[in-house]
Amino acid sequence: MSEVRELPLVEAIKEAYQQEMERDESVFMVGQDIAGGIFPHTMGLVEQFGTDRIVDTPLAEVGMYGTAFGAAMEGFKPIVDFMFAGFFLNAASPILAQTAQFRFIHGSQMSLPMVITGACGSGMRLGNEHAMLVHNMIAQVPGIKVCMPSTPYDAKGLMISAIRDPNPVAFIWHLGTMMDRGPVPEEAYEVPLGVAEVKREGSDITLVANGIQYKNAVEVADKLEGDISVEIIDPRSVSPLDIDTILKSVDKTGRLVIVDESWDSRSTASQIAAQVVDVGFDMLDAPIRRVCIPDIPLPGGHMEPYVAPNPDAIEAAVRDVCQ
Amino acid sequence: MALGKEQMKTLYRNLVRADHFDKMMMNRIMQGKLIGFYHPGDGAMAAGVGASTFLGENDILNPHHRAHGMAYMAGKGIDVGRYLAEHTGKADGCCGGRSSFHWSFPEQKVYGASGFIGWHFCPVVGWGWASKRKGNQVVLMASGDGSYGQGGAHEAMLSAMNWKLPIIFFCENNGMAIHSTADDMHPMPDISSLAQGYGMPAVVIDGQDVFAVAETVIAARKHALAGKGPTFVEAKTVRLREHDVGTPDLARAEPRDPEYLEELKQRDPLVLATKRVLAEKVLTQKQIDKIIKEAEEEVVVVEKFADDSPIALPSIEELQAGVYA
Ligand SMILES: Cc1ncc(C[n+]2csc(CCOP(=O)(O)OP(=O)(O)O)c2C)c(N)n1
Ligand SMILES: [Mg+2]
Repeated sequence: MSEVRELPLVEAIKEAYQQEMERDESVFMVGQDIAGGIFPHTMGLVEQFGTDRIVDTPLAEVGMYGTAFGAAMEGFKPIVDFMFAGFFLNAASPILAQTAQFRFIHGSQMSLPMVITGACGSGMRLGNEHAMLVHNMIAQVPGIKVCMPSTPYDAKGLMISAIRDPNPVAFIWHLGTMMDRGPVPEEAYEVPLGVAEVKREGSDITLVANGIQYKNAVEVADKLEGDISVEIIDPRSVSPLDIDTILKSVDKTGRLVIVDESWDSRSTASQIAAQVVDVGFDMLDAPIRRVCIPDIPLPGGHMEPYVAPNPDAIEAAVRDVCQ
Repeated sequence: MALGKEQMKTLYRNLVRADHFDKMMMNRIMQGKLIGFYHPGDGAMAAGVGASTFLGENDILNPHHRAHGMAYMAGKGIDVGRYLAEHTGKADGCCGGRSSFHWSFPEQKVYGASGFIGWHFCPVVGWGWASKRKGNQVVLMASGDGSYGQGGAHEAMLSAMNWKLPIIFFCENNGMAIHSTADDMHPMPDISSLAQGYGMPAVVIDGQDVFAVAETVIAARKHALAGKGPTFVEAKTVRLREHDVGTPDLARAEPRDPEYLEELKQRDPLVLATKRVLAEKVLTQKQIDKIIKEAEEEVVVVEKFADDSPIALPSIEELQAGVYA
């Protein structure tokens, strides 16, 4: 097999857009300043697909999202880009109150295929509004799927799955992974939604992490190698959540640490912990630890590095559980 | 109403100071001595200075995001040292160093910045409502052409006009919102034409003319204090550089025309104001030189204050204690 080329994560996302837009005329993008490009994932697309399919809107999240919402009912497959994912909150009512619950409440007669995307996360010290990860806010609501890639390979495959999925899918990506390089096959492929992956095998402890926190998890696992054998699971999707893959691993290791760049309360981390205790209480040799943002707004300034999950906090939790 | 000489001097001094603060911020972001990003305001500082210089102590101010509010500080007596300390994550910052660029000075009724453009269209209704109840205070709500894309703009103008709230909708129209041109994003050339639908008085003024801006806002403030309700003031201005430092300077997907940008530079507010104060003998060249020197010295003091302040590194427990009142 020939060597697979490497791409940065943003380029992997862009390739997914390109291949799906080439394949399916009904796919289009709507957002603010996407023709010029804020992040590199949309740069150059307007030359390729024109302004009918790379649609810039005024600074108006409701109207912008409305383009996707209504067009999806008319058979189009919109990708709506909120730039910074937190800006989705301006359109939270049509997304969470209507879109997500629309199909079910109207008798499951129609589907609303669309991708809601945006970048966010700690690392740039931009303060709560720009950094805030929104995956758990969205995942609270049934009817909308939520995924977040950790590697360029998954970014492309998850985006393709998200575009092809007949449901609304939120694809949230972490700014701290934007330029991460990794192998990405040239052809189109899917990474299934709702399926976690064991990214590194280990025997002493199960460490669950996604987005930039996956990188931090790898750093910690490398550091502890020879001392503690860490198995890393990337959930890839937070809704639906693949609890089976996590349980299988915990059954083997007996220990679990979950990293989630989010407020601790009502997070994916607390959800995983609850489900593991429900079904796998007997598998556990130690209490579960969650490494999250304490329940305070994520400050900017110099506080972000120690308030957000970080390698030191992850290592401390892993050691604590393994002692 | 024509401005008095003292008023013109004050405006001129504030314009020089604002210009120096903007340059200070530019230098610092280039040197990596600022947290977050910086949206430069050079060539566009007159509108904010003119709008804010003669606000009353009780007036509520929402500064425009461009230049991170630097143009609007003088009139409200903002401590720029504590502002810069905040923007550099220092313990003496106005928000304890935790806000990055989301600064606030609630004592001066600058309640706070948000990274969500147009966020102010929501609280402005209550600022106006409370101001009307209290009397003797108005709201200056500044924002850009882009912000009027937000649906909240309609809701704010609706209530403001229904209830005759003392609000000045102050729009800095620089023709751009990141890579989008106002021509593409708004069907009408003047943002203030929106006001027509509510029967709100509206004026379009030259935002490069600090004196014209001040005259207009003084009049709008009087109108509001007299119980006559809101005014829409649209100040036409420019954006000379990229949206925020380090991003490409595009209109749609194309680089902006350098010749056009050169043309915009010809109407630099400081050049215009200097010509006028000299011509009208408001200031002598010597006095101007002194004002510039004082502004330079002020920047040194401000930077020293921020740089000397320790990095804010409170414990998680200390931070938790700040979540609830
Ligand atoms: C709710 C929201 N949507 C989008 C953005 C991204 N954004 C930041 S500044 C800006 C343009 C603002 O344009 P305008 O109001 O005209 O002010 P200018 O930057 O031109 O001074 C945009 C779209 C944002 N910060 N908040
Ligand atoms: Mg603008």
